[in-house]
Amino acid sequence: MSILYILIPLALLLLGGAVWAFFWAVGSGQFDDLDTPAVRIIMDDDQKPGDGNET
Amino acid sequence: MMGDAETCFHCALPIPANCNLAITIDGEQHPACCPGCKAVAELIRDSGMGQYYALREAPEPGVGRPPEEAAEWRVFDNDNMLSAFTRSAGDDSEATLYVGGVYCSACSWLIESTLMRLPGIAAAELNPVTHRLRVRWSPEENAYSEILGALASLGYEPQPLTGDSEARPELLEQRAALKRLLVASLGMMQVMMFAVGLYAGEFQGIDAEMQRFLRVVSLVVTTPVVLYAARPFFAGAWRGLRTRRPGMDLPVSIAVGAAFIASVYATLTDGPAVWFDSVTMFVFFLTLGRFLEMRARHRSIDRTVALSSLLPNTATRISADGNVIVPVSQLFAGDRILIRAGDAIPADGFVVKGESGVDEALLTGEATPQGKSTGDPLAAGSVNLDRVLEMQVTCTGGDTTLGTISRLSERARYARPAFVTVADRVAGYLVIALLLVATIVATVWYLVAPERAFEVTLSVLVVTCPCALALATPAAFAAASGRLSQLRLLVTNGNAIESLARATSFMFDKTGTLTRGVPKITALVVLDNNYTEYDCRIIAAALETASSHPLAQAFRLDDTLPTVDDQHIEVGQGVSGSIDDRRWRLGNATFAGAGFAGNEGSATQVFMSCDNNAVAWFEVDDTLRPDAGATLQDLKARGLRLALLSGDQQAAVEKIAANLGIDEVHAACSPQQKLAIIETAQSNGEHVVMVGDGINDAPVLAGADTSIAPAHGASLAQTSADVIMLGDSLAPLNTAVTMSARTMHIVRQNLAWAIVYNTLALPLAALGYVPPWAAAIGMSASSLVVVLNALRLSRVE
Repeated sequence: MSILYILIPLALLLLGGAVWAFFWAVGSGQFDDLDTPAVRIIMDDDQKPGDGNET
Repeated sequence: MMGDAETCFHCALPIPANCNLAITIDGEQHPACCPGCKAVAELIRDSGMGQYYALREAPEPGVGRPPEEAAEWRVFDNDNMLSAFTRSAGDDSEATLYVGGVYCSACSWLIESTLMRLPGIAAAELNPVTHRLRVRWSPEENAYSEILGALASLGYEPQPLTGDSEARPELLEQRAALKRLLVASLGMMQVMMFAVGLYAGEFQGIDAEMQRFLRVVSLVVTTPVVLYAARPFFAGAWRGLRTRRPGMDLPVSIAVGAAFIASVYATLTDGPAVWFDSVTMFVFFLTLGRFLEMRARHRSIDRTVALSSLLPNTATRISADGNVIVPVSQLFAGDRILIRAGDAIPADGFVVKGESGVDEALLTGEATPQGKSTGDPLAAGSVNLDRVLEMQVTCTGGDTTLGTISRLSERARYARPAFVTVADRVAGYLVIALLLVATIVATVWYLVAPERAFEVTLSVLVVTCPCALALATPAAFAAASGRLSQLRLLVTNGNAIESLARATSFMFDKTGTLTRGVPKITALVVLDNNYTEYDCRIIAAALETASSHPLAQAFRLDDTLPTVDDQHIEVGQGVSGSIDDRRWRLGNATFAGAGFAGNEGSATQVFMSCDNNAVAWFEVDDTLRPDAGATLQDLKARGLRLALLSGDQQAAVEKIAANLGIDEVHAACSPQQKLAIIETAQSNGEHVVMVGDGINDAPVLAGADTSIAPAHGASLAQTSADVIMLGDSLAPLNTAVTMSARTMHIVRQNLAWAIVYNTLALPLAALGYVPPWAAAIGMSASSLVVVLNALRLSRVE
């Protein structure tokens, strides 16, 4: 079981990396819009000024 | 395929008669409407991006058109402008631009690829939905003005945005909340894993050294969860203590703090138990509840308001020494400014020159562009679509319609409904009571079984936290007003939802509320068989172009009109003019002559004659809002009493009432009489909702239990209505009634749930049947149930 003494700290390092990456992503604005990405896939590209989709 | 023979290949505007320009792409000749479009198209072709024309959707008339005059972008290279509009990102500079005229992914592809070819550009990302372009470049290799110029030369009008519009407070709040949520959730998962090891060890036996190791790692992971993710709870508790109004943060903080310190102590001294798992789980669920509540709250900030950050930061002022680009903050009433196609309008004002279609969807929700010509009002935040307009500014900044809407919804955000304040106060007393109970439980257990005293007290503190109670009402109100603002009803008073739910009667004003307040042609009778209805419309429209009479609006047509010579306006009578040497007269019966006789009725009749021969007559009337009838039927079907209060004459009012199926009609009322009618109803125990126009009816609106006003530009600033209807449609009224009833229902459900949960959980925990981790789950689940229940309101149809 002594392998845990290496694996757990290693896991914590990875965890730290993940947290850092997430903080960076939030700080760079990637999570500012939590609503549109979910529907972007079903949006057509042919938005016209009169569509009202973008308001 | 793209450009028809008569429209420009690039911008799709009609080609002027004496224009003979051509664009050659892939060996094919296409027509162009002006040298500017030709230049842009050739620029696109020569950059090897001719694919744009194949990729783009149907071209939008006027969009992508080059600016008529090359703007002086150099202004933006001075230090003041640079510090306002750009920020540094390492060695690079970064800026956000609003790019008008981007409607499809081909535009965004074209812009991104063009920019990426410029020297020194590190990144360019354009979001076609928000129209925001983020660009990063090295200031040594390229200048800000070059980027603006490159966009302008493609025909897109860039609007530099200040950094402020990025740093909206709710955005910063959301970022912080997301980070906290992530730290709490990752921390919880890790600690949970170690906890499994520790629990298994308790049953199967574990090395003392391994147990200490797992506890230390748990401690390492829990520390940031407590110190970072749970910080708002500690801050809230401290604030509550200082103001002597303890809220739910206090027991939360005591529980988290005490459990954490006790666990640290146990880790250092090899004590019997640690509660790291309970601590992280408690913090995670609380943070999740707060996060969901925050999202509901943010959603209630109307998207209209969020979009007000789309206002341009600069404007082109027309002055004696040429056009100058100035920051919008330096615009004043009376300034004349130039609005190019694709520009957002920076202030309220009216058109002094030019004619164009304007997209006012931001303010009214009306999707079709509105035709605007000389004298027509323009509202800040709407977008000029087709042609250049010259406008005179009447008000700027916070005084504009958009500014007023922002302010009203801001007010709603900070004004807490009476209902919530009561719940808060109750929660405050409850907290004190719970702290007393916890002390008693601790003392009793200390006397009976000292080794379990801490654990049981911890459970009691956690399980009874009145979070659910405190969240029950605000979450429901936030979700409801968020949904209502999506339906274009802006709730400006926190009590409005509750009082709408109790409404027993609806009273309506007529003009501008049930009707549009804009005259329209409702009937056209052609008397001369030589003319079609369309001929008559076109001739009338041409004759009325010179008139500024309100009725002239009814005749406006967006079409090619015949030329009128010798136009003459007889004030209060009509207009006359010559078309192809024939004399046309349009106006009242006497003015038009030709034997017309006026007849009495509610609508206004306008007669048209040609060389003294009767040609046609029009009936012009203020039209009903299209869904007025259906909406009123629905309200009636709910058993609500409907009444029409109007200052107009009996006949006109009764006609409308009969049309809409309203039985109770009060015509020719002064505002005092209207108020008296409302007060009589109220003294009979009725709960009156008044739907009326803001200006004339201000005292009437104030007298009603709930007031609803449509948002008409000028009246908006003075309105004190509880709810503002932003759209053109009345149907949301019906939804608002459903919504308010549902909201109160959900609030009652939530409160009942919170009370039942607390009364059941407290005795169990006090008797020691609930371990701390179960208490954390129970309490968190009960708050989540409350928040999720409230969020159901955001899906009410």
